[in-house]
Amino acid sequence: MSTTLPLFRRAFFDTWRSTLAWAAGLAGATLLYLPLYPSIGGSAQMQDMIDALPPEMTKALNYDQIATGPGYTQATLFGLIGFLLMTIASVGWGAAAVGGDEESGQLELTLAHGVTRVQVVVERAMALLVRVLLLAALVFVLVRLLNESARLGIRPENLFGAAVLFAGLALLTGAAALCAGAVSGRRTYGLAAGAAVGVLGYVFNAVGRQSPDLEWLLRLSPYHWAYGNAPVANGADWAAAGWLWGISAGLVAVAAFAVSRRDVGT
Amino acid sequence: MAHAISTRSLTKKFGRREVLHGVDFSVEAGSVFGMIGPNGAGKTTTMRCLLDIIRPTSGEIRVLGKDPRLGGPELRRRIGYLPGELFLEGRVTGRKLLAHYEAISGPVAPGRIDALADRLGLDLDRHTRKLSKGNKQKLGLVQAFMHDPELLVLDEPTSGLDPLVQQEFHAMVREARQQGQTIFLSSHVLSEVQQTADTVAILRDGRIIAVESVSGLREGAVRHLRFSANGITAHDAGALLGAVPGVGHVEVLESNGTVTLSATLEGAIQPLVKALGTLQLRDLVLEEPDLEESVLQMYSGPGDASSGEANSRDSSHKNSIHRQAAK
Repeated sequence: MSTTLPLFRRAFFDTWRSTLAWAAGLAGATLLYLPLYPSIGGSAQMQDMIDALPPEMTKALNYDQIATGPGYTQATLFGLIGFLLMTIASVGWGAAAVGGDEESGQLELTLAHGVTRVQVVVERAMALLVRVLLLAALVFVLVRLLNESARLGIRPENLFGAAVLFAGLALLTGAAALCAGAVSGRRTYGLAAGAAVGVLGYVFNAVGRQSPDLEWLLRLSPYHWAYGNAPVANGADWAAAGWLWGISAGLVAVAAFAVSRRDVGT
Repeated sequence: MAHAISTRSLTKKFGRREVLHGVDFSVEAGSVFGMIGPNGAGKTTTMRCLLDIIRPTSGEIRVLGKDPRLGGPELRRRIGYLPGELFLEGRVTGRKLLAHYEAISGPVAPGRIDALADRLGLDLDRHTRKLSKGNKQKLGLVQAFMHDPELLVLDEPTSGLDPLVQQEFHAMVREARQQGQTIFLSSHVLSEVQQTADTVAILRDGRIIAVESVSGLREGAVRHLRFSANGITAHDAGALLGAVPGVGHVEVLESNGTVTLSATLEGAIQPLVKALGTLQLRDLVLEEPDLEESVLQMYSGPGDASSGEANSRDSSHKNSIHRQAAK
C-alpha cells in the first residue's frame, strides 16, 4: 500500500502535540505583548525611558524604534520573544529529524523499508517547513487581528513580508540543525549547530550595530539579513528572504547527500 | 533463483578496525539459515550490510539477485527486517506505528496485522514506549512478517520473548518456510536456531568458521544417556554398555541391588536399544542431542589455534569458549 509522503505524514502528525504547544506559546506571547503597546510602547514616558538607556543597549535590543507600532512589534515580537520561541522549536525539530532519529536507533528500521535516504531527509525537512510555516502564519493572523485594537498601525503587506522573513530565519536555524544532525548522526551536534546559527546571528547583529568598525559582523548575521531594515515598518527585503530560504534548501540538500553516502547507526 | 542471499569476501572496516574479514556464505531460497556466534562476532554488521544500512568496505553481496546498494526501495520492500536492538519511542500506538511501516513496505493483506498480533499476544492499542521489551520485540516481529516478504532477516528474533511466545515464533518461521519464504536469522546460542534452521553458519571474530546442516550436526551430536537396572552387577552392566558402538564416558553407580549408569552416545541409537533390551530397566533417560556441544567443538576446531585442542569436551574448555563469547 502506498500513501503519498508517508514519512512527511509521520514526522508531521506524530509531533502534533509539540506543534500545538509551540503554537500556544507563540500565541500567548503575541497576545501578551501587543495589547500592551498603547500603554507602554506608545507612551511618552516609555520614550523617555528608552532615551535614558545607554544607546548601545537600545541598539542591541532593537528598541530604537519602539515608540511606533510597527517598531514595537518588530522589536518585541519578531525580534525577540517570537524569534526565540521559533528558533527553539525549529532547532529542536531539525535536530530530531535525522540525527535524533538515528541516535535513538529508529532510523535504521525506517531505512530498512521501501524508502530512499534522500526521501527520508526531504520529507522530514518538508515536515519542518510546514510546521514553521504554520507557526509563522499563526503569528501573522494574530497580529492582523490585534492591529486595530492595539493601535499598531502595521500595513498588511509589511506584516506579510515580516512573517515570511520570520519563517525564513527560523527555517534556516532548523535546517542547520537538521543538516548537522544528518551529517554527524548525533542530535546534540544538530542542536549545537542550530543554536549557533540563531545565537551568533543575534549577537553579531547586536554587536555589529554598535560601531561602523564592526559593521562587517552584520553581513554574517542571518538575523540582520532578515530584520536589518525593520520589515514590519518598512517592508521585507525580498533578497534577504531569498537568501534565508535558499540557504535552508541548500542545507537540506547537503544533509540528503551526506546521509546517502554514509553508514547509518554505527 | 537458487540463492536468496550470497556474499563473497565481504569485509567491513569501521575506521581502522576491521569487523568482517571476508565473509562468504549463501542462503538457499526457501530455507531457514541460522547465523550464530558470540556477541561482537559481526552478525549484526553482516545483516545491516544486506539491508544497505551500512556499506561493505569490499566484497560482493547479492540479496534476492540484486546488489543491496543498487536494489533500492523495490528490493527492501521484498524483505522483512528485525533489527538486533529495537527502539520504539514514539508516543503512538502499536497500530499506528504498524500502519506507518505498512505505508513504506510491501503490500499487507487485510487482517494480517491483527492475526499476527493475536498469535503473539500483543496489544496493538497501547503506546509503544510503554511496552515491555518482549512486547516491543513482538511489534518488531509483526512489522517484519506482516507483508509476507520473500526474505526475512531477523537479528536475534527471540530475545526478550518468553518461552511460549518463542514457540509461537518458531511456528511462524516454519510456516513462512512452507510458503516458500527464506529466513535468515541470528542468535548467540545455537539452541534458539536449531529448532527451525536447516543450516547453521558459525561466525566468529568476523569470519565464518563453519557451515553445517542442522541434521548433520544432529547426527554427529552427542546425547546424554542415563538408566537404572536390577539384577545385574555393576561390572557386567558397564561391560555391556561399553560394547555398544559410539558409547563413551561410562560411569557406574551401585546401591541396594540397583545399578545406575550414565554415558554419552554418539551416532546411531538402534545398537543401544538392542543392548538395553536384555536388561531389567527401572528407569531410562536418553536426552535430546546437545548441538551446542557439537558447535563448541567447532568453535575450537582446526584453523583456530587460540582455543586449545580440537577434541576436548570437558567443561573447562566450554568455559574458555564462554569467556570469549563474553568479550
